[in-house]
Amino acid sequence: MAQSSAPNTSGERQPVKVSIVYCAACGYEPQTLALTSALMHAFTYDLAGIELIPWEEGAFDVVINGDLVHSMYREGGFPEHETIIQAVRDRLKG
Amino acid sequence: MSVTRERFEQGMTYAAYKAQMTRNRDRLEDNEQAVHLRPEDTEFFANLAEPINALALVEDWCGDVLNNVPVVVKAAEATGKLNLRFFLRDQNLDIMDQHLNRGVHRSIPTIVFFDQNFRELGHWIERPAIITEWREGMLTDLYATAPELAGIPRTASPAQLTDAARTRLMQANAEFRAQTRDRANQEVICEIRDLLSRALAPTAL
Repeated sequence: MAQSSAPNTSGERQPVKVSIVYCAACGYEPQTLALTSALMHAFTYDLAGIELIPWEEGAFDVVINGDLVHSMYREGGFPEHETIIQAVRDRLKG
Repeated sequence: MSVTRERFEQGMTYAAYKAQMTRNRDRLEDNEQAVHLRPEDTEFFANLAEPINALALVEDWCGDVLNNVPVVVKAAEATGKLNLRFFLRDQNLDIMDQHLNRGVHRSIPTIVFFDQNFRELGHWIERPAIITEWREGMLTDLYATAPELAGIPRTASPAQLTDAARTRLMQANAEFRAQTRDRANQEVICEIRDLLSRALAPTAL
């Protein structure tokens, strides 16, 4: 299992990676690409990476540095872009 | 609002549905070739007192549509007793939302059956129940035995798995589909036969 990044105690910016799991059998590509685009525009060079993971069974998860911040199974529906962007900002601040 | 004859007849024929597909037509047609109806299934539909109207909510990206719709199509073509029309789910959410899976999910395929007077007889959703049950069992065994999944809870997101664990899960799902396809096809017909038998019992059978 991936690990969350360590707290920033040195003042250096910690790498932040966002993973989006989307059900490729459900036609969720537009929502996936829209969230990816929102992250790209909000953070330009600041993310360590954006990972897209095709899956099935109705999944739409967003994981930031190993933390599951949105799950369609858990929360229902797609996340608000601003919610995800704020979650990334919080982690960039350390 | 219930589906009227006029609305039903706006649906696509199977040929028209296939013609507008933008992906996965090869997978659909591969599954068509794998459907073999048993004589008792053909006989059941052939013996219906009158043709049944069947409205199928579909999308071409959905694996369950690709897997299960060809079974219903084969029954229609073999017996002439299922009048099938296809509707794209995302353009017909009013119909979809009247037939949600467990009252929540817009699962497809959803096939809604109507008699000649457009009285709704029932609807069938997604995939046979036994296949869902077997798949759960397969995953339970896999998580208990596969080294790639050792110590990983079932609730973990795929994004929290290693690449090897994700690959193992997808491989297992693909193998499961291949191993259960024939039984799944039979179960689709059995469940629809049961549904129609119950709905038509007092009058037509």
